[in-house]
Amino acid sequence: MTDAGTTQAGPTEGIGYFERFGVTEGIISRTLSTALSRGGEHADVYFQHRVGSDIGLEDGAVNRAYASVELGVGVRVVKGDQTGYGYTEDLSLDALLECARTAAAIADGPARPGPERLHLARPLPDRYPLRRPWGEVRPEEKLPLVAGLNARAFAADPRVRKVNVFLRDESGVVLVADSTGRIVEDRQPMTLLYLSVLAEQGGRREQNGYNVAGRAGFEFYTPERLDRVVRVAVARTAILFEAGAPPAGEMPVVLAAGSSGILLHEAIGHGMEADFNRKGVSIYADKIGKPVAKSFVNIVDDADIAGARGAINVDDEGNAAGTTHLVENGVLATYLHDAISARHYGVSPTGNGRRESYRHPPLPRMRSTYMLPGPHKKDEIIRSVKRGIYCVNFSNGQVNIGAGDFTFYVKNGWLIEDGKLTRPVKDVNIIGNGPRALELVDMVSDDLAIDEGGWTCGKDGQSVPVSQGLPTVRVASMTVGGRGT
Amino acid sequence: MSDLLDVTRRAAQLALASGAREASAGSYRARHVEVAWRDGRLEKVTEATTRGLGLDLYVDGRYASVSTSDLRPEALERFITDAVALARTLSPDPHRRLPDPAQYAGLPDVDLDLLDQSYQGLDAGARRDAAQAMEDAARAVKGAEAILSVTTSVSDTSGESALVHTNGFEGARRATDFWTSAEVTVKDPDGRRPEESAASGGRHRAALESPDAVGRRAAERAVARIGAVKGASAVVTMAVDARAAGRLVGALFGPLSAASIQQKRSFLEGKVGAQVGSVRLDVRDTPLVPRGLGSRRYDGEGLPARAFPVFERGVLRNQYVDCYYGRKLGLAPTTARASNLAWALGERSPAGLLADLGEGVLVTGFLGGNSNSTTGDFSLGVRGFQVRGGRLAEPIGEMNVSGNHLELWSRLAAVGDDPYRYSAMRTPTLVFEGVQLAGT
Repeated sequence: MTDAGTTQAGPTEGIGYFERFGVTEGIISRTLSTALSRGGEHADVYFQHRVGSDIGLEDGAVNRAYASVELGVGVRVVKGDQTGYGYTEDLSLDALLECARTAAAIADGPARPGPERLHLARPLPDRYPLRRPWGEVRPEEKLPLVAGLNARAFAADPRVRKVNVFLRDESGVVLVADSTGRIVEDRQPMTLLYLSVLAEQGGRREQNGYNVAGRAGFEFYTPERLDRVVRVAVARTAILFEAGAPPAGEMPVVLAAGSSGILLHEAIGHGMEADFNRKGVSIYADKIGKPVAKSFVNIVDDADIAGARGAINVDDEGNAAGTTHLVENGVLATYLHDAISARHYGVSPTGNGRRESYRHPPLPRMRSTYMLPGPHKKDEIIRSVKRGIYCVNFSNGQVNIGAGDFTFYVKNGWLIEDGKLTRPVKDVNIIGNGPRALELVDMVSDDLAIDEGGWTCGKDGQSVPVSQGLPTVRVASMTVGGRGT
Repeated sequence: MSDLLDVTRRAAQLALASGAREASAGSYRARHVEVAWRDGRLEKVTEATTRGLGLDLYVDGRYASVSTSDLRPEALERFITDAVALARTLSPDPHRRLPDPAQYAGLPDVDLDLLDQSYQGLDAGARRDAAQAMEDAARAVKGAEAILSVTTSVSDTSGESALVHTNGFEGARRATDFWTSAEVTVKDPDGRRPEESAASGGRHRAALESPDAVGRRAAERAVARIGAVKGASAVVTMAVDARAAGRLVGALFGPLSAASIQQKRSFLEGKVGAQVGSVRLDVRDTPLVPRGLGSRRYDGEGLPARAFPVFERGVLRNQYVDCYYGRKLGLAPTTARASNLAWALGERSPAGLLADLGEGVLVTGFLGGNSNSTTGDFSLGVRGFQVRGGRLAEPIGEMNVSGNHLELWSRLAAVGDDPYRYSAMRTPTLVFEGVQLAGT
């Protein structure tokens, strides 16, 4: 397929990859000058070429392939908190200038000059080096991987009736240039493998699955990882035959290490995105510097987990991206900023300005969100619970930013009775209120794990890839959406 | 128009020239404008003309589906050549082919009136004025002193699309849509900042409510959220308002797809002809409604659109069967996806339903949660109001409902007279008895 970004490594200065589409410094400079022609304070252009490929298995055959190409450019003009945005799939100078004029209209004042020359602000890291870039991987290599997982899933348990496998790879390149003269290109690979299992037992059916994802090439699929995908997908399905609904109501909730980081994503992560706070619509507005959790609670949002789905070298505004501390020793520390909110608060950008594609302006978004290890032990935490639930894995979550209510949906878990895991539970939603749930985090273990799953975060109609992690954590009380008492 | 159809025909022909035995090509072009307004000034203006092309390729009994926004001629030619080569590496699939040309016959000869000819006359000032008027109306409601922020949005799209199958189907359509919405955040004395919203939309600008009405409704809803409490866990009678009800209906309709059924992931498998819900569950799929948000003359596979019953007095009558999974199941296709739903409405208004209900809850919004399409189990976060003595009482939140869809729909006790106009599902208020609510 088309070879988006197969060769270069790490972010680079200037126009390398996009030369093939006729993009020149002259075109970018004229676009930025036009963008500032009505008094905008800041402008940027975001070129994107993303080539995706999926192969799928159903009913025993690798018999479907999907391929996609996105090529386009977005032009943004910022004045204060205001944004003008235009985008197009046509990379000609005329089309870019039309977008720039559209975006420029957000401002109404004398023209400002565009950049005199374009340059890389500073060297940027390479957090996703590839050994086997997807452009070099032939379908003949992917097909046996997918077919093999099918055979192994059927072999793993005689109750398995249907298996679906999808292998996705993406080779994307973006170019960001702005009115301060910064220019950077970044190659952004991604892969995701999903195995879904349907099993039957005594006339009942259950379905579950497992997925893994990362910014990596074909080397991501080690034998150990593929073994884990099959083992976990089948085990998580089989145990559903023994599982039931937990009781309804308030009780202690213990979150297993790993994908339970969804708690942080919903309970605090979104509420800490600075756009909601500058607008005053987040329950965390006005809380910076205040205690929000016990002193052993530390929460970060991190661009720098190499190879993670949520890793980025540079954000979609061209800002360096590092580790942002949301909660330090129990105190609310830093919002997640994009350029607009950073200017609004008079702070440095945190590298959280992200976008789904060239069709969208950037927003403050999470990357890899997790809690640092704490002073307790996993066994000690489970033993401490008289009656509650232990949540192992999750399918989705959501939050109301202002009211603070958030949910996460538990696909597999256990009932805890008298300090022991007694029976499996399934398909239960848990609901809490963000700040209250943080206050109620009263035990944190030392076993932090970053989940390897393919999490996607949605906001304002934009989806971006993220990661999350957690050590084993106890929340003293949340509402469990079970049945009966 | 003919221009886009020509582009689509050429792409389909290119697929044949590149080695596909047959192909379906679909393309679109759209102009989209959105004006967002917040607290007295413009927040964001987005404007774009966008395009794309998709192809289903049938190559020597194999199948690939591809899409691109890179329509430069050489790039497109290479893309299709690569896609055909990719398809050749796959296993054959005897069920993949275009519909039989005989299935294209009977395209309804109606004008669905999906294009508002006045679209071209819109200017940025009118959008901005409407956005501002929504905020002004929001800030004029009783209790507006609690308002922290108002964000409003006015957006519209004018688009055209074309679909060409190499075995004879050709279709093209143009449509507009117009949306207004307002979101209001208020200060709760305990520090929470509850938010609520309202929206209005349609194919024609005339379908929009006045900006005042939308802004006022959003603000009244937000003010009503102040002081929300978590109620006790209990089994209750639950009314779900027309706007929120789509979430439940979506979880009932998803498992009706032939893909879910063939893959054994549907709790509704084998239920055609069986009583699935109470007699109040009575819904038709109606694709030919003039100006309908889900209206169409032909579906995504080129099959002529026709109305059919989905549930009649609680009995499942039809599933959503596309050609591919229909062949796998040995079923004749209906259509792959729902168009507009038409409910057998009740005679009671929402207020009348609450009066009948007496004691229970009204759900006005869901938060997260999920439904298991294989087993029918669901667990969903809810917010809304207690209902006491047939009237709304205090707001409730941070609560959850759980159950199984087969139980839930058999306990559908009443249906309102108020279809939600701003969704193709057109759900009315629904009342269910014996629902498990989790709270304190």
